[in-house]
Amino acid sequence: MKDVRNASRIGRLQFLSDEQKRDIYLAALEIAGSIGMKVYHEEARGLLADAGAQVEGELVKMPRHLIEQARQSVPAVTLVYGREGELAMELGGYNSYFGTGSDLMHTYDLETRERRASVLEDVARAARLCDALPHMDFIMSSAHPTDVNPHHSYLLSFREMMRNSTKPLVMTAENADDLRVMVEVAQELRGGEEQLRQKPYFVVYNEPISPLEHPVESVEKLFLCADTGVPSIYSPAPLAGATAPITVAGHTAQGVAESLFGLVMHQLRKPGAPFLFGIGAAVLDMVTAQSSYNAPEYYQTYMCMVDMARWLDIPNWGYGGTSDSQLLDAQAGMEIAQLTFMAMMQGSNLNHDVGYLDFGLTGSLEEIVVVDEFVGMNRRLFRGVEVDRETVTVDTVREVGPGGHYMTTEHTYRHLRSAQWRPTILNRYGYEKWQTEGSKDLREKAGDKARKLLADHQPPALPEHVGRVLDEKVNGFTERVA
Amino acid sequence: MAFDKLIELVQAGDGELVAAEVQKQLDAGSPAPAILNDGLIAAMDIVGEKMESEEMFIPEVLRSAKAMERGLAVMKDELALDDVQASGKVVIGTVKGDLHDIGKNLVSMLLSSAGFEVIDAGINVAPDAFVAKVEETGANFLAMSALLTTTMPMMKQTIAELEKRGLRDRVKVIIGGAPVNQGYADELGADGYASDAGAAIKLAKSLRA
Repeated sequence: MKDVRNASRIGRLQFLSDEQKRDIYLAALEIAGSIGMKVYHEEARGLLADAGAQVEGELVKMPRHLIEQARQSVPAVTLVYGREGELAMELGGYNSYFGTGSDLMHTYDLETRERRASVLEDVARAARLCDALPHMDFIMSSAHPTDVNPHHSYLLSFREMMRNSTKPLVMTAENADDLRVMVEVAQELRGGEEQLRQKPYFVVYNEPISPLEHPVESVEKLFLCADTGVPSIYSPAPLAGATAPITVAGHTAQGVAESLFGLVMHQLRKPGAPFLFGIGAAVLDMVTAQSSYNAPEYYQTYMCMVDMARWLDIPNWGYGGTSDSQLLDAQAGMEIAQLTFMAMMQGSNLNHDVGYLDFGLTGSLEEIVVVDEFVGMNRRLFRGVEVDRETVTVDTVREVGPGGHYMTTEHTYRHLRSAQWRPTILNRYGYEKWQTEGSKDLREKAGDKARKLLADHQPPALPEHVGRVLDEKVNGFTERVA
Repeated sequence: MAFDKLIELVQAGDGELVAAEVQKQLDAGSPAPAILNDGLIAAMDIVGEKMESEEMFIPEVLRSAKAMERGLAVMKDELALDDVQASGKVVIGTVKGDLHDIGKNLVSMLLSSAGFEVIDAGINVAPDAFVAKVEETGANFLAMSALLTTTMPMMKQTIAELEKRGLRDRVKVIIGGAPVNQGYADELGADGYASDAGAAIKLAKSLRA
């Protein structure tokens, strides 16, 4: 079987000591157990009460043993498969995967360079581009289509993503109704309910609302995932200083409590169902009122979250390839690189939001191409160094001797194509050659590459019966739901 | 085409098989100049294009050049001197005081691969030594390299030495190296400057034409 692990074999980042992780965990237990959270889903409250939680109206206080029990039953590794049924991701350990984010209201048009409202075609285009890019491992919608009925937008996006890529998907959905259609189509793709359970095709991104609230829609989607074996993310987005404490430890502790609260509901519904832990660690800028994805405090809470996920031994949902900047400029380059590098160094598992600009409001296909290049370069870096007789090669040094050169040794030929990573858009020309090639900067080269891939690349068509069921079910839904 | 296989083998850089294929062609009655021009040189033209389009890497180009030389050696006796030397003869070296030679070596190897006859004068070559080499070999190119700003002026002195000996009109002088640029080449009255090895080969070919 193809080895899809992408674990860093070199350095590790660690932000929290074992003692600090324990302190944060204990704080999370206290938040869940003595403060409690609002659960608006009645069936979930019943389930929690039966299991021993203290329920007062909508407020649920979670005893420690329920959290410990859920930690015991949740899988430490979750496998996700591509559309054609091939293993694509092994979520867990230090394996890092990257993909787009979802629901960007604006898109930089690749042809006009103008920022405009996102349309359904942007979803299709981003999916097809990512399908062609070797280091994009999964697909999210990228754009949120504003040219369709909002209640149809997730399902119509799902259809475009499925048609335009063979890579696995991470889905957002409005509620259990549109999500159920997606699950049914995936069951058709795999050939049955059990087959989908064996080979999940997509992961669902579910969120509570910070602080400490679990909406009906979030929980019903969480339950539908548990019932059908579709892996579920349950990741809050506590905004430090606004919907969570402003300090990194407090931000982390509340986020841990909120995600674990979802884990308990999920595992009570179906013990052993696949789950991803996470915190969207956004920070409210207290001057501009913007929600930064790249503040150093964001990076800190993010890294603390990954530390906690590893300590809990649950696969994590993460972030990469994102910038606060409105343009693909030097700030964007710096932020993309820092966030993505940290995610890889830390071994964060399922990292989304590649191609985000402007605080998650604007999408850029050029940025996706840049991040793909960056991830490719760093996968080489984190692969580690082979040290053996062949690679140390004292014999070759002897053969060449003082004053000689290595350009024509057999050893050089043997390793020529494998020893060096080759950039596709990073500039390695000398000044004159760079001028001859049009004096292009990275953004222009990324745009050229995106346009070329979109012109040339077409993923294989869906099997006929799957395409038919997809259309029937999606059209049935859009006719049924106004 | 009769030389398709030979062209493939040169590109693959397998000297042994190139030599065998050339022998086979000779035995089959192909004329040596045809094997040279339509086989070996045609193959190296393709190699040059593939280097330009980044399909082939520099060491692969060098290996093809070596393979071509193996093929050429088989026909040594069949080829008239004129057939081989039509391309140009280059004296190349790093200037006096400069011991940095990997760039010079690379240009030297690539010039060979493009069909030039290369006389490598080595490193730390004094102006009179360069000129003596040009005179002795009858070269029509002089290629000088310097990596240091402190050794660059030696290029000027070498050109002056060529002029003094009345050889300046006989040779095209081309220069390269990190601190050198087109402006400096113009100032010296050199015939050309190239910013990298690939450009150096193009430059030499254009001056040969």
